[in-house]
Amino acid sequence: MKSKEVISKRTELYDLGKDWFKAQGWKPFAFQKDTWRAYLQNKNGLLNAPTGSGKTYALWVPIVLEYIKNNPDYKTKHKKGLKAIWITPLRALSVEIEQSARKFAEEMGTQLTVGIRTGDTSQKERAAQKRMMPDLLITTPESLQLLLSSNNYSKMFKDLNAIVIDEWHEVLGTKRGVQVELGLSRLKTISKKLKIWGISATIGNLQEAREVLLGPESAAYQNSVMIKADLNKKIDVRSIIPKKMEKFPWRGHLGLHLIAEVVPIINNSKTTLIFTNTRSQCELWFQKLMEKYPEFAGDVAMHHGSINKETRLWVEQAIRNESLKAVVCTSSLDLGVDFAPVETIIQIGGPKGVARFIQRAGRSGHQPGKQSVIYFLPTHAIELIEASALQKAVNKTVVEDRIPYLQSFDVLVQYLTTLAVSDGFFPADIYPEIKSTFCFQAITKEQWDWVLNFITKGSQSLQAYDEYKKVEIEEDGTFKVNDRGVAMRHRLQIGTIVSDAVLTVKYMKGGFIGSIEEWFISKLKPGDVFTFAGRNLELVHIKNMQVIVRSSKSKTSRVPSWQGGRMAFSAQMSELLREEMYEAAASMEKGADGKTKKTSEELKALKPIFKRQLQESIIPKSNEFLIETFKTREGYHAIFYPFEGRFVHEALGSLLAYRISLLLPISFTLAFNDYGFELLSDQEINMEQVLDNNLFSAQFLMDDLYKSLNATEMARRKFRDVAVIAGMVFTGYPNKLIKTKHLQSNSQLLFSVFRDYEPDNLLFLQAFRETFEHQLEEGRLRQALERISQQEIVWKACEKATPFSFPIITDRLREKLTSEKVEDRIRKMLKQLEK
Amino acid sequence: MIEKIYLANQSFILHHSGTMYWEEQEILLISDVHLGKISHFRKYGSAVPQAAISENFRKMDQVVEFFSPRSIVFMGDLFHSSLNMEWDLFTEWMETIEIPVILVAGNHDIISELKYEALGVKIYSEIIFGDLLLTHHPEERAGFFNICGHLHPGFKLRGNGRQTLQLRCFYQNKEQLILPAFGEFTGNFWISPNEGDRIFAITKTEVISVF
Repeated sequence: MKSKEVISKRTELYDLGKDWFKAQGWKPFAFQKDTWRAYLQNKNGLLNAPTGSGKTYALWVPIVLEYIKNNPDYKTKHKKGLKAIWITPLRALSVEIEQSARKFAEEMGTQLTVGIRTGDTSQKERAAQKRMMPDLLITTPESLQLLLSSNNYSKMFKDLNAIVIDEWHEVLGTKRGVQVELGLSRLKTISKKLKIWGISATIGNLQEAREVLLGPESAAYQNSVMIKADLNKKIDVRSIIPKKMEKFPWRGHLGLHLIAEVVPIINNSKTTLIFTNTRSQCELWFQKLMEKYPEFAGDVAMHHGSINKETRLWVEQAIRNESLKAVVCTSSLDLGVDFAPVETIIQIGGPKGVARFIQRAGRSGHQPGKQSVIYFLPTHAIELIEASALQKAVNKTVVEDRIPYLQSFDVLVQYLTTLAVSDGFFPADIYPEIKSTFCFQAITKEQWDWVLNFITKGSQSLQAYDEYKKVEIEEDGTFKVNDRGVAMRHRLQIGTIVSDAVLTVKYMKGGFIGSIEEWFISKLKPGDVFTFAGRNLELVHIKNMQVIVRSSKSKTSRVPSWQGGRMAFSAQMSELLREEMYEAAASMEKGADGKTKKTSEELKALKPIFKRQLQESIIPKSNEFLIETFKTREGYHAIFYPFEGRFVHEALGSLLAYRISLLLPISFTLAFNDYGFELLSDQEINMEQVLDNNLFSAQFLMDDLYKSLNATEMARRKFRDVAVIAGMVFTGYPNKLIKTKHLQSNSQLLFSVFRDYEPDNLLFLQAFRETFEHQLEEGRLRQALERISQQEIVWKACEKATPFSFPIITDRLREKLTSEKVEDRIRKMLKQLEK
Repeated sequence: MIEKIYLANQSFILHHSGTMYWEEQEILLISDVHLGKISHFRKYGSAVPQAAISENFRKMDQVVEFFSPRSIVFMGDLFHSSLNMEWDLFTEWMETIEIPVILVAGNHDIISELKYEALGVKIYSEIIFGDLLLTHHPEERAGFFNICGHLHPGFKLRGNGRQTLQLRCFYQNKEQLILPAFGEFTGNFWISPNEGDRIFAITKTEVISVF
């Protein structure tokens, strides 16, 4: 009986794993054992397990057991070569995974080796790896692409048994996810025994996540399982409510007003993680904590992505051995790394996503039986409504989807160039692989040909005198890069999906402090003081991509504001928020019994604010759509409150501004947040005309939206990423800024050139499509318009700004839209200046 | 609308193409065309649309026809980089031009002088006409007023309702007049002017004094 033998052999293997767990004083979770079994049955799969739950051992254990099974003399002999790849989106996590993996491999008595290959890996180490790969390679999506760009790569992957994509939920909704999909499509062909596993935290679309990972309807997908770690953890959500609401600000995003409330929380908990939404906020909170509570010196640290690696690792280690009371951090501590001593989480400002909020909460209370505790600290009054809605969202586990990218031609161009840089490729081999991915399942032959033409001719038709040079077609039909410069620039470019150019910050006397985005530094002059890594630093000069600084005693400084802090609410969260608002409206009215309804602590605390709101305006009920207009020194404000989340508001605001601009020559600047949007103009908007013309109609929606996109900068900004990924904008060699200047172009200029001369270019069109699919969410927009059409429009002409309007009108990041002639606008501005 | 200005007692017409016409001498001044930039990018694997290449020549034809000057002075950075196919287009364009063409060489002008001479283009590092000094890089020299390029000046204008406009411009200060970049595919340097300086913004159809 062969199958019986197989089963008993497998049981023997499990026992090896279980014994090791026992020796650690642990007991494997059901999900771990389930994963071992499925893996050893040669299945692919998606493991749904939260951060810090022991997911590394769920997959690393069976990988080692499989090796043991195939190599009975594993204790004395070592069969060399790459056997497994572990992909992690964050470099910072690789060390942790390496330690766990190495520990198990060694204690099982194998001679398996573990290596890391990321952007931090030295040239020497990389070369050594090229000669002899470790058995387990821990790497990032970019580095996997880089491996595919090396000569004879297929030999390297020949004996690969497993590839694990860790934190798949983080990668899924990004272009790095597409990079992974494409890399896997190649590996499936060249690594015959490959098993593919993903690990994902809970998201709304887990099934789809598995399909994206394995390829829709692929053989790999047919032979796959979904394993869920049901570690039902209780989460206790508490809001920090300001004692004196009257003094609490109407706007802002820092939350420093409530800094005193944080102190007892820190003191009463073993270790507290304080999550901020941006690095600048992180810097400020750390600085203020140190300033106001010097007794915390040495007990409180800071952690964010721009701080140097050694400091980050030190902080992580210090959390583990309980030598810190609190750490102020950003999403840099969202993932990986199990911190047992963490008892409490504080979230400052809206987390803009329930999944993220739950994940952060989960960083605390790791001991069995303990619950996670998370405090929500509002940064302005209206955010208390969000706090109340978040509590409900956590109870109902309303989590967002991560929407995978479709038809990302920029990533495809990059990938094909990668293959051409290494051994070259035959389109006939690669096309079916591409077509088998989720991202490109709908690619047409025409689009494929377009991409091939783009990388070989730089256009669709060959023109006289053209010197375009990238991929060449050899006599035998191989698509190959032969130019060394092209190959080198391409390899350097692979890692940039997509961040700003980053410069290293160093002391004059030497000593690396961290890295900082170029655009921030470019705003400073030598002598200016800025806050970075918790220190005040004076800019001395910038040289060779290095920012040279010295310590400064100056009290005033500029804080770098990092981009990327802007996220938006999901549809479900927006709905909860609306319901909360309607409840707030109801709470201000007396019922038939003469009493007001009981509400949450948060809404109760907001009463003084609601009263102010009611003086000038209303709190909209479920059948009402509120519009407020008023005039300030800045101009004429019109605020609309759909409560649909930032992205829908971006679309709706642009649409409305565009439609108004058809009625008369007018210029707007637009601001958005999760509650509503603002149209600001130097001339009064005729609201009656807006309402009479039914400008919220869903008719001609797509057409008008497309035109409004053309009029604003949204697609232009998306195009920046597309141009960089597709290799049209070269971001420079590290440390060789000057020499490449002649190749640096500005994606803004490039956008205009495409618009004027090649508007049917697939990459240009992609910028618009991405704006629609990932930012504007057409479906939600239609639903919103539908809802508004059934509401009663309440237009309030106010004397001054209302509490609800405050966070929006003070937002400085704005879109623009105009239907005036530029010459007229110049003359108008000049006239305003004369006044 | 066209602006006329006086520099060292000479009169100049500013044109919305970013060029400047010297009335007394009947010279057309054009700065920072950066021909060959698009081909240069393409040669290095960046697929900038080829159709954009002809735009510079079309615009030069238009402005030459408008002023019918007696000569043309390029104020430097005529070509972006080394020789490429746009040189052939320039050669063809030169065949249509029947007046003297002069180049005040700039930092990007690395193509051999012999090549230019073969087409009949004279090259100088600077030109002095009376009190006027024509260079590519902005210079301050006692006794001279400097006309130059290189900087690609632009200006940001602000208005009510948090509105801003970014415009290419001519920038005039006590010592210099700096021409905007003529080239299609070029960026800007944003000027913050001092008291007494003047800025003439250009749009697609007009030149407007804005400071």
